[in-house]
Amino acid sequence: MKWPGFVNLFGAWFLLALIPLIILYFLKLRRQKLEVPSLALWQSVVNDQRVNSPFQKFRRNLLLWLQILALCLLVLALMQPFFQADAEVAEYKPLLIDCSASMSATDEATGKTRLELVKDKVREQIDNLTGDQRIALFSFSNTGRRLTEFSNDRRALTKALDALQPTDLPGKLDDVLRMAAAYTRTFPIETVTIMTDGNLPEQVDFELPFSLDVQRVDMGGPNIGITEMSARRSGPEEWEVFVRVSASSVDLRGAELQLFEDGEQKQSHQVEVSNEESDRLVFPVSTSQVKLLEARLVPAGFDSLAVDNSVWLTLPAARSLKVWVAPKLASWRHAVRVQPNIELEESETGEPRGAEYDLLVADEDGVGSAEAPVRLFVGVVPQDLQELIKVEEDVSYVVDWNRTAPMLRHVQLSDVQIGEQPKLAAGAATKDLEERGYEVLIDGNAGPLMLQRREGLSVSYWFTFHTDRSTLPYRVGFPIIAANVVESALKQASLSDVAAAPTGVLPPISVDGNRTYTIKTPAGESLATESNAAGTLDGISASHVGRYDVMDGGNLVTSIGTGLLSGIESSLKPVEELRFSELTVATDAAKQVDSDQPFWWIMALLAFGVLMFEWWYFQRARGAMV
Amino acid sequence: MTSTTSQLTTLFDNATLNLIERMRLRPNRRLTNRARGEHLSGKGGSSTDFADFRDYVAGDDLRYVDWNIFARLRRPYIKQFQHEEEMHVVLLIDASTSMLFEDKLLRAKQLAAAFGIMGLHNVERVSAYAIHSQQGQPWMLPPGSGRTKIRKLLSFLEGVQGGGSIPVEKAIETMLRFHRGRGIAVIVSDFLTFGDISRPMNLLYSAGLEVWGLQVLAESEINPNVQGDLRFVDSETQDTLDITNASELLNVYQDQRIWLQEMLHSMCRSRQGRFMSVSSAQTLSSILFDHLCRQGWVLR
Repeated sequence: MKWPGFVNLFGAWFLLALIPLIILYFLKLRRQKLEVPSLALWQSVVNDQRVNSPFQKFRRNLLLWLQILALCLLVLALMQPFFQADAEVAEYKPLLIDCSASMSATDEATGKTRLELVKDKVREQIDNLTGDQRIALFSFSNTGRRLTEFSNDRRALTKALDALQPTDLPGKLDDVLRMAAAYTRTFPIETVTIMTDGNLPEQVDFELPFSLDVQRVDMGGPNIGITEMSARRSGPEEWEVFVRVSASSVDLRGAELQLFEDGEQKQSHQVEVSNEESDRLVFPVSTSQVKLLEARLVPAGFDSLAVDNSVWLTLPAARSLKVWVAPKLASWRHAVRVQPNIELEESETGEPRGAEYDLLVADEDGVGSAEAPVRLFVGVVPQDLQELIKVEEDVSYVVDWNRTAPMLRHVQLSDVQIGEQPKLAAGAATKDLEERGYEVLIDGNAGPLMLQRREGLSVSYWFTFHTDRSTLPYRVGFPIIAANVVESALKQASLSDVAAAPTGVLPPISVDGNRTYTIKTPAGESLATESNAAGTLDGISASHVGRYDVMDGGNLVTSIGTGLLSGIESSLKPVEELRFSELTVATDAAKQVDSDQPFWWIMALLAFGVLMFEWWYFQRARGAMV
Repeated sequence: MTSTTSQLTTLFDNATLNLIERMRLRPNRRLTNRARGEHLSGKGGSSTDFADFRDYVAGDDLRYVDWNIFARLRRPYIKQFQHEEEMHVVLLIDASTSMLFEDKLLRAKQLAAAFGIMGLHNVERVSAYAIHSQQGQPWMLPPGSGRTKIRKLLSFLEGVQGGGSIPVEKAIETMLRFHRGRGIAVIVSDFLTFGDISRPMNLLYSAGLEVWGLQVLAESEINPNVQGDLRFVDSETQDTLDITNASELLNVYQDQRIWLQEMLHSMCRSRQGRFMSVSSAQTLSSILFDHLCRQGWVLR
């Protein structure tokens, strides 16, 4: 049992007013005199045991007791009592409010969103702030945002709360918890309260320095939404567009899925899904040009969450993969040439003629001014690693390789014999390579045999030995490696697979370098951003689902769209527990959002009621006197 | 009741007096003095009321031989007649301040006068005592008999105005210091006293007086109409008693009043006496000619 707390304990001093009250009561008590023939009978009445029972004694001084009761209730009201909520009463209370997309889920009965429910509860907590308490409001979706500093200014807190709107982003706790943790250095924070619907990733990469109080709102209504959208090239000008539709309820939910191509509806399908089984639909699309697709879901009945009903996807223009392979690398030319949709440049010179390729396979570090998002160097040690890796004339062999790397998928390298021996310099270690941005894909007995390095949108691979001086070209794995590198190039050029971009940050957009562009967001905002030297626009925030137009002055450069694309958010299914690095925090459904409940006003009302009763009793007793 | 010069007394009218004169006291026991009187007592008296026969023995007065029986039976029988002995009627009227409320004293004086007149008409020795502490007021009427004493008795009672705070038990003890003779002691009082009433009752009984207790209460004492917080002031002692929520205590008050009546009734009955409680609001006629007759106190 929790005892009520008091905000103003000093109010108890007012109980001393009981002393003058009692004294004045007896001083002021004036009884009407009444002469009677004899007191004999009345004396025996007073001496009667029934009259002297404790209850009768109490009744005899009922007015006094009523006054004492009224005073005690008033003093209690002055002490501002409150029932403590389950959460600990702390002076500094950070409140982390979930503003992810699922918080905009609407309850069918009340028409209120989950965020509105949470805001009501937070507003209640703000209203119930006691004198020493301070609240700091944070909101979070995929990142955290501080709304207010620690404050007890109800007006400022309420204003910040009212301005809070749900985003079209999935929820993620890590960032906002780090922000709250930063405050523990300056404020004695014991408990951090998270107000959420529970649609969060179960695993949180964070070590809790405080206790976590996760408070959940009720589940929203039924929802149906698009959780995946991607496209795969099925021919030179053919695409297969995949759309996955999921639902949150057990019952089957029906909807019409419409596919728009450049704003024009081309196809539609009826779908029926439940939370047990999602539906994956395929739309064939023929195009050789860049095309902006929109998958739009029109639910048959009430849909709790609207933001996941449309997803955008940009199909790139159809073309062959432009590849240049160094003339000396005959084995690689041969292996690459047999891949489909390849435009291999036949060049007798040692350098490519063009400036841009999708894939470059070279046997020396420099390939002139040619650029490609995927580059493969054979028998080359990167310039900046030459002091760490020396290639010696010795035999080496493969010790291990990264089997999950896209470049080495389905490749067996254990019996490959190599006539060169790349060797790490004395004192050098793999860590030194990693510090310079390289990842070792194949480990040899003396040093790295293959390296990978990502730079922006491009990726480079280095065989530190020459493949012609190994048994690799004679192995089954060689054409597979060649196919993998082509596949990688296709992906980089978005020529084989494209996936719809989720909200958060727009994928990098290739434009002219060092130029200012304007991004028009679905919310109607215009963001000015500048492309880097490599001609990439990246890091553009996309907090809303919809179409983003990249404008160069008044000209539309390209369009790109986003979707929520989060199974967790669309499912509206809360996680039962959050797993942190060292502990697990339950998100109990029964534990609803709660706050301290002051009840001073009840005390004040009771005191008023007692005073009224006392007045009535006094008037009645006085009026009835003989 | 009208007070005119033609009336014998201010206590009641002549018509009532005439009715009273025809009434007789009816004591439970025959507590009489051996002195000759007109109150019929045992056999062997010289009154005209026949009592019994007995065998003639030598020395008997031949005047009492029943010659008619002797003629039939040839045996002498002596006729016995009832004694006519003297019986005292002591009237004790509580005239303390508590009796000054709501005609209590008037009703007490009327009743005492009625009992006295009945006694005097029956040639009993009637004496009267008034309980008060007022100087100049009569407090005792010595025993006397005969109708000539009626005027004195009425004058005595009319002269009692009342006042003071002498408790009834103390007054009884004082009275017994002056009184000698067996008979009836009629105590007309409200019996509202803090003292022990059983002791004077015992003294009366041992003095050969049959106790007739007649409690006269005011209507405000029988059904008090009080409410709220009050400070009661005793009319005799001026003592005070604070009562809170008096209306809540009325049930207990009634219980106490009835308990007092039952206690007094029990005391009188155990001493072969009588007890009755009347209200001063009741008319004298209803008390005298209805209640007292039906209770067997008096004979009409």
